[in-house]
Amino acid sequence: MSATAFMPTVTTGTVERQAVQAGRKPGRRTDEVMSASMLSEGIYELVIRDPYVAKTVQPAQFVNLYPANATMALPRPFGVAEVEGDDATLIYQIVGAGTAEFSLLQAGDVIDVLGPLGKPFDTAKPANYVLVGGGLGVPPLLYAAQKISERNDGSKVTSVFGYRDARFADDLVAPFADKTHSIVNAEGNVVDLLNAIEDELHAADQPPMILSCGPTPMMKAVAVWASKRDIPAQLSLEARMGCGYGACVACVVDTPGGRLKVCKDGPVFTTEELGWEA
Amino acid sequence: MTDTSNERATVMNEQTKQTAQVEQVERMNVLEPHEWRHKTIVAGVEWKNPVGTASGTFQLDACGDYYDVSQMGAICTKGVSPVPWEGNPSPRTAEGPFSMVNAVGLQNPGIDHYLVDELPRLKKLGAMVITNVAGHSDEDYAQVVEKLADSDADMLEINVSCPNVSHGGMSVGTDPVVLSRLITHLRTLTDKPMIVKLSPNVTDIVQIAHAAVDAGADALSLINTLVGMRIDINTGKPIIANRTGGVSGPAIFPIALSFVWRVRQAIPDIPIIGIGGIDSGEKALEYLYAGANAVEVGAAALFDPTAPMRVARELDDLLDSRPELAAKLAKGQTW
Repeated sequence: MSATAFMPTVTTGTVERQAVQAGRKPGRRTDEVMSASMLSEGIYELVIRDPYVAKTVQPAQFVNLYPANATMALPRPFGVAEVEGDDATLIYQIVGAGTAEFSLLQAGDVIDVLGPLGKPFDTAKPANYVLVGGGLGVPPLLYAAQKISERNDGSKVTSVFGYRDARFADDLVAPFADKTHSIVNAEGNVVDLLNAIEDELHAADQPPMILSCGPTPMMKAVAVWASKRDIPAQLSLEARMGCGYGACVACVVDTPGGRLKVCKDGPVFTTEELGWEA
Repeated sequence: MTDTSNERATVMNEQTKQTAQVEQVERMNVLEPHEWRHKTIVAGVEWKNPVGTASGTFQLDACGDYYDVSQMGAICTKGVSPVPWEGNPSPRTAEGPFSMVNAVGLQNPGIDHYLVDELPRLKKLGAMVITNVAGHSDEDYAQVVEKLADSDADMLEINVSCPNVSHGGMSVGTDPVVLSRLITHLRTLTDKPMIVKLSPNVTDIVQIAHAAVDAGADALSLINTLVGMRIDINTGKPIIANRTGGVSGPAIFPIALSFVWRVRQAIPDIPIIGIGGIDSGEKALEYLYAGANAVEVGAAALFDPTAPMRVARELDDLLDSRPELAAKLAKGQTW
């Protein structure tokens, strides 16, 4: 599959080198697909070779993927789920023609990319990081688990994942988590799960800090649950984006501080920034 | 050779040609320091090249990370209103074939913030700045223009063509009498070069263009977005909260080009900035042949942040072999 008809194909190495020389961020570029596979029904994993993303991406940051079919002009944003060497892993669900096209990619194909984009989670302080994810909000938390587990400051990782049915990410987070919990729709939701493990969260050596990503109603419920217990929470929002890098002002969220851009001011906001306290 | 093999040979030649083009693009470093060879002059203002950014697709904090804004012919800012505007509710965007539909509604922090923040920062970086002026009423536009009159803005662009605000915007730019009244008044408030940005959502663009020019516009920019919409077939409801929005992107290129051509045919002596669907030096060049003195890159920048700079570099190369056109631009001749 080739890159789009109207944007030039420029390989990632060239774009990165030119940008670094000029002291800029690299623009849109063409990456090689290293592998592509289906994780569970309708959920796919894509590994792209992009040394700049691999080197610089922080948890909750995302990349734009551009369909090769140029009739689809807008990028599709996906949070990075894992980094290994020069490669970044993205996990997504088929929701439309763009993601359907991506699901046909195979190793050796190319795909246009921009990023990493957005403001990451603030994980500077040692804490018991409680990763609360729902559905396709789970993948960015896998990378948070990976990065936090690499540290030696006593930080812990507890995963609290809610799935529609298949528990597609439990095995992926296990190597990086101290404790893993998950729940499927038929059993309840992540707030039920948080209630069930609340004592465990407070018993840890480090104070809990919630990092959450998932559907907005879920994150609002998580923010309320956390604020009632004075647990700080950082929420990574999903939004219908235009450009994904802050130029078009299409993806805004209403906050007490005004309408903020999800792609550039976020996607990560605190409970207080969003005014989502109980 | 049979007819079939001839066809195949033609196809293969086309493919070889495309491959060659890709390789050429790969060699071009659009971020390296560049001596611009082909300037343009718009309403007496010299641009170092004929390519600017289109209003609504440029935010310094986002775009400035990707290229040196001083290297664009001009930076046209997002619409600035007399007070902060919060814009339209979400969702604000949808995709169309080779295009996007947006209804941002001119969200911006207002002129007072602009004068102490974005404008001085852009000037400090060495940018040629066109400030896009937005309003809900004649008084709104006048307030912004008055405050810009003594500012460092190099040019003003009066936005009488935004389709996504309930008052002002397109409702002004689609009525020659209302437009003439506004521009006549604004002309008394500033000596700065004043561009009027025209809407394509009119029956006769030439009539509107004449009204703007006769009222004192120094230049015209066209086109703003075309009104459009998308509907979610699962809900049967419009995708965008504002229901309709403005269509931009490669899909509108031939439409916008014909608007520029028609206005140039009718008014030989007004500087024109061509806008609509430009994502390459070749497309920019078509606008220049249609009669534009400069162009602006809009939606393409949303699909690749470096697109405006790439278009400028590609056009600089293309003008090398077109000395007559290049000379006309450099002298600020309109037609």
